[in-house]
Amino acid sequence: MSEMSSGLGVPTIPAPPEEPHLPPRQWIRENLFSSLFNTVLTIVSSLVILAIVRGLLAFIFNPQRQWEATATNLRLLMTQAYPEEQYLRVWVCVAVILTLTAMSMAVWRAGSAVPLPGVGRRLLSGGVLLALMALLAPFGTRSTFIWLVIGIVVAAGGEALRRFADEERSLSTLALLAMALGGLVATLWVVPYGSHTFNLQRTPRVLAEPGTVAMSTKLPWTLMLVVAVAAYFVGTLVRDRLPTNPLRATLLVTWLLMPPILLYLVLRDPSFDMGHVFTTDIPIFAAYAVLGGALLSWLTRPSTGEAGRIVAALVLVAGFAMFATPMRMIVRLDMLLLAGFALSAPTFSGGPRARRRYTAGWLGVLGMMSWLITAINTPSTVDVPGGFFIGGISLTLMVAIFTIVISFPLGLALALARTSNMPIFRLLATWFIEFVRGVPLITILIFFSIMVPLFLPPGMHLGEVAAVVIGYSLFSSAYLAENVRGGLQSVTRGQHEAAEAVGMTTSQKTVFIVLPQALRVAIPPLVGHCIGVFKETSLLAIIGLFDVLYIARYVMSNQTEFMGSTKENILFVSLIYWIFAYQMSKASQRLEQRTGLGER
Amino acid sequence: MTDATAAEPTDNQAMEQSRDLSGARDMIACEGVSKWYGDFQALDGITATIKEQEVVVVLGPSGSGKSTWIRCINRLEVHQEGRIVVDDVELTNDLRNIEQVRSEVGMVFQLFNLFPHLKVIDNVSLAPIWVRKKPRAEAEEQAMALLERVGIPEQAHKYPGQLSGGQQQRVAIARALAMEPRIMLFDEPTSALDPEMIKEVLDVMKVLAQSGMTMMVVTHEMGFAKEVADRIIFMEEGQIVEQGTPQHFFENPTEDRTKLFLSQIL
Ligand SMILES: Nc1ncnc2c1ncn2[C@@H]1O[C@H](COP(=O)(O)OP(=O)(O)OP(=O)(O)O)[C@@H](O)[C@H]1O
Ligand SMILES: [Mg+2]
Repeated sequence: MSEMSSGLGVPTIPAPPEEPHLPPRQWIRENLFSSLFNTVLTIVSSLVILAIVRGLLAFIFNPQRQWEATATNLRLLMTQAYPEEQYLRVWVCVAVILTLTAMSMAVWRAGSAVPLPGVGRRLLSGGVLLALMALLAPFGTRSTFIWLVIGIVVAAGGEALRRFADEERSLSTLALLAMALGGLVATLWVVPYGSHTFNLQRTPRVLAEPGTVAMSTKLPWTLMLVVAVAAYFVGTLVRDRLPTNPLRATLLVTWLLMPPILLYLVLRDPSFDMGHVFTTDIPIFAAYAVLGGALLSWLTRPSTGEAGRIVAALVLVAGFAMFATPMRMIVRLDMLLLAGFALSAPTFSGGPRARRRYTAGWLGVLGMMSWLITAINTPSTVDVPGGFFIGGISLTLMVAIFTIVISFPLGLALALARTSNMPIFRLLATWFIEFVRGVPLITILIFFSIMVPLFLPPGMHLGEVAAVVIGYSLFSSAYLAENVRGGLQSVTRGQHEAAEAVGMTTSQKTVFIVLPQALRVAIPPLVGHCIGVFKETSLLAIIGLFDVLYIARYVMSNQTEFMGSTKENILFVSLIYWIFAYQMSKASQRLEQRTGLGER
Repeated sequence: MTDATAAEPTDNQAMEQSRDLSGARDMIACEGVSKWYGDFQALDGITATIKEQEVVVVLGPSGSGKSTWIRCINRLEVHQEGRIVVDDVELTNDLRNIEQVRSEVGMVFQLFNLFPHLKVIDNVSLAPIWVRKKPRAEAEEQAMALLERVGIPEQAHKYPGQLSGGQQQRVAIARALAMEPRIMLFDEPTSALDPEMIKEVLDVMKVLAQSGMTMMVVTHEMGFAKEVADRIIFMEEGQIVEQGTPQHFFENPTEDRTKLFLSQIL
């Protein structure tokens, strides 16, 4: 039943029995050396792969490589020049994200169990790979020997597990993950990675000392691991004691609220002008809260009827008319928001409980929007060189997440509008999509970062990053809409008719029948699109924002100590991009499996 | 019953069940209904009434407009001329009328059209919850009772894709019944089924007919028509050619076209 309330069905269909594992030798013979041609192909491609791996390892472990450039600048890559003394804010954000992630994993019962021999199989191949790498890499004899021994030990341990472990006993993937992360964090305390810092504030100066990494790095990460594990256990406790659906809904809402709160409250730390807040912002909010609440409470009454629709349309007209008169931006935006709520009110009409819930929703969204707009327009107390208060991977991720989250509902609405049978919506959506798709992303980014602030009415500031995110979201929503439309078209006419025949209204049909099926079909292209959005944030560099690629390409390789370290930096940054993109595509595969795509 | 039955003892005793419905009120009334697809006229002045509790079987060659007519009755298709009145509500462009009629008219499709992303029980209880605004627990209880009635309570927590065709069609019947309709429309409910599954669906329909449901059935199952129908309507080229009791229809049809049709299928 949970799937109905969350809109998207997630059936779990038992997986078909796995094909039996062949013994390695037989597998190799059947798959790699089954014919003369296959044998030649196998040998040639192995040689090519060997050469590539060898070249890559030779590049990475070449003593001339300046890997200190990335090691020293890790903090710059993560958050750009976020001030050292405020760094606690960053750690709080990381902790909040990890806590939410771990709790969600517990509540959604993420992870599965791998039988011990399976773990052994993986250890075996990992060890063999490690040994192979040690042989190929241009190490000195001593390092080669040490790594070879490590590889062989791991492989032997794996082989022992594979042979002798009980097939019935298994290990949860989450425990494995925690163990791996724990091991990684433990190495911070013992392995002499060296302590690297780059001092930005005064004369730039590199600090690289032998020993383990700095306390300001290893201590927080250790705490983070503890926080995550603790959050997981809290999650399991809560999961077993509270009803599932409200709990999941609460977590989802928290996830949605988290990015703006972390960004604008924790990281940016706006210095609110309290006098202004009390004399202007709060009164405006209160007026809309009371009057809007009363209006919506009337509109959701089932007896209101046609008069309600007329009033809602008038509110919309008033909202647009306000743009022609001098007025605070927030007043106009609130009016448009109210119009949106008023127009959809008849759909949610019902008993007193439903009406109260709708009005509460209005108050929540209104409060959130008022606070956000005020926060965006308040100067930050965090002062860094280079325009925006944060950069690097944080900026990249932030822009990507905001863009995806904003463009998703926009894209859905556009797709529905383009397939609706109301000509005016269809026309507007088609025009918008075709226009946006005809313009390069770069143009849109430049337009929104430079031109839009010029067009804004006096008194309204839109941070550069906020402007860019809006532009990027509009761009992304056009493509997203086309992906969703593909899904919508795959829903057969029979499904529409069946929903209509049981008396569903168009919006009920859309929400319960059409969209779940359409989105399920559209998962692969949608995730592909999200990966694209994430990677194309690198274009932010062109409009002068310090995203991770910009820092790697232009900032780090211009530091006097690390002249000419571009190759290393780019390689490192591409590794980071790959890790995130790969996780997204794994998530997509899991989602497809869980929704049973391809089973029917 | 009449002498004809007595003269032919081999004939189905079911025919004797023909009820006297002349006093019942009209559930569906069609007056001169016409419909065009572009230039092609699919319905040509259909006039017929269906009484409360009556079971009407619609026969006719392929392309004669049977589906079109039955789909006009819950406005999945829009007719261009004439009037259709369902349970005293006339079908016009007024959305509220259409939704009211649809929630009182159940429909079963040839290809089941179950919602593949919802479990069987959710397929059945979705519309009562959202259209009839029933509490979820009550709707699910009713859904289970209906699944029991069509004989597959044990499948409630499976997905439609995991059921056989006959089971799926029975779920579809339960889904339509969950709205507590006063009329049920069936458009070739057994045409997509293997022979061994046809019977299980027809049995459910027979029980439904005996319970007093008003039914309009398009089918090629002559056995079902003979046994269950109160009246048979024969259509060709968008017109009603002949109608009458099964006995009249199968034993002494008056129209040549009916005779030709019967000679081809029997
Ligand atoms: N959407 C449509 N557009 C154009 N013509 C249509 C459409 N639907 C049906 N027709 C035509 O209308 C006529 C009647 O179709 P209908 O589906 O009602 O026939 P039917 O009696 O149900 O036939 P069958 O026994 O094969 O199901 C046919 O000639 C068909 O080609
Ligand atoms: Mg048909």
